[in-house]
Amino acid sequence: MNQFDAASFLAHALAFETEAAERYDDLADTMETHNNAEVAELFRRMANFSRMHADAVKGRAAGTELPHFKPWEFQWKDAEGPEVAPVERTHYLMTPYHCLQLALHNERRGRDFYREVSAANTDAEVKRLADQMAEEEQDHVLVLEAWLARTPEPQPDWDQDLDPPTVAD
Amino acid sequence: MTAVTPTYAVKDYKSDLKPIWCPGCGDFSVLSSLTKAFAELQRAPETCAVVSGIGCSSRIPAYTNVYGFHGVHGRSLTAAAGLKLARPDLTVVVTGGDGDGFSIGGNHFLHACRRNVDMTYIVMDNQVYGMTKGQASPTTAPDWCSSKLTPEGTGISAIQPLQLALACGANFVARGFSGDPNHVAKLIVEAVNHPGFSFLQILSPCVTFRTEQRGWKDVVQKDKIAAATSNVAEALAILAEDDGVATGILYAGKRAPFQPNNKASSDLDRIERKFVA
Repeated sequence: MNQFDAASFLAHALAFETEAAERYDDLADTMETHNNAEVAELFRRMANFSRMHADAVKGRAAGTELPHFKPWEFQWKDAEGPEVAPVERTHYLMTPYHCLQLALHNERRGRDFYREVSAANTDAEVKRLADQMAEEEQDHVLVLEAWLARTPEPQPDWDQDLDPPTVAD
Repeated sequence: MTAVTPTYAVKDYKSDLKPIWCPGCGDFSVLSSLTKAFAELQRAPETCAVVSGIGCSSRIPAYTNVYGFHGVHGRSLTAAAGLKLARPDLTVVVTGGDGDGFSIGGNHFLHACRRNVDMTYIVMDNQVYGMTKGQASPTTAPDWCSSKLTPEGTGISAIQPLQLALACGANFVARGFSGDPNHVAKLIVEAVNHPGFSFLQILSPCVTFRTEQRGWKDVVQKDKIAAATSNVAEALAILAEDDGVATGILYAGKRAPFQPNNKASSDLDRIERKFVA
């Protein structure tokens, strides 16, 4: 991971929190379209959480001019920002349990991103911000772990559709 | 990286319509890549057009907030070429799937490559007809036997889109993967900025009828074919070793785009009077 200055670091944080909210909204929309109302509602809540986190980053960045990065210039470890839910991990029959698992996966990646920034950077302000944000992400991880623990696990045949779409003949 | 605040944001290129694709479909990511690319290009929405044919991926014009035309099956390239020739000031992007592009519209694809009109063609390749519930398409492997129509496979060699595009004269040829939407956004920007006919094959999993394609993310090799050569023979040599899941800009040619400087021989009033008479 390269060295950040505070503005570049905040630009990264804002980008992935904003994209995370947009992705959760997209997933909520698509679950509504596929009549999975329970999961749609959960994704919508996750989108609202991500928007709150993005607003918090904006608050920290107040008065700082953030640089513009092209989408492919961001220093993500994976293809997208750490809290952006991978599209391919969704399914039209997914349950709230799967949704929370996905959100937990994203929050852990967000926490790890901040921890790695803190470990790899020498700029004192970047380290301070990254440590603070890693701690907040760890709180989100704990909340989601508790939420997941009180959510019923899906049946083994959760993805079995009695009226499956594969009817080519 | 730049400190300049862009005029247009990604949201300016998104429409209010919600996609009806299956959750997990790669086309969501390609849509995201396209709107990100438009935002990077900073072209005003009213100076861009997205043209498509028929199929799941051909629904993209409805989901973008630029001019759009959801046309006839396999004929997107003809409509788009007409648009670009009549309005060279527009940025024209064509979207569709492998069936629409290489079967129903196969002949138009050959001649669009050859004609080299300055536009970008994005094919979301999932190697299946998804909208009609999972039949083999021109890019399906000959031994794929999950459709009741072809229980023992098609037995027919799959079309190789990049080879075909090169052989027919496309001026820019690249492959991307929907699981890496930021890389695809970059490919789209490069394709639009490159003069002439640009062809992008985007591997875009169909999670309903080709569930095994969820595994593409583990095998795709980013920028493995990123030669960006202007030598067709070199590009073809790279493809001779290609496994179909390597991505990157393979070829960037130097042919001048086809853009005749024709003058209108009539005007709308005169044409209208002819119909009335």
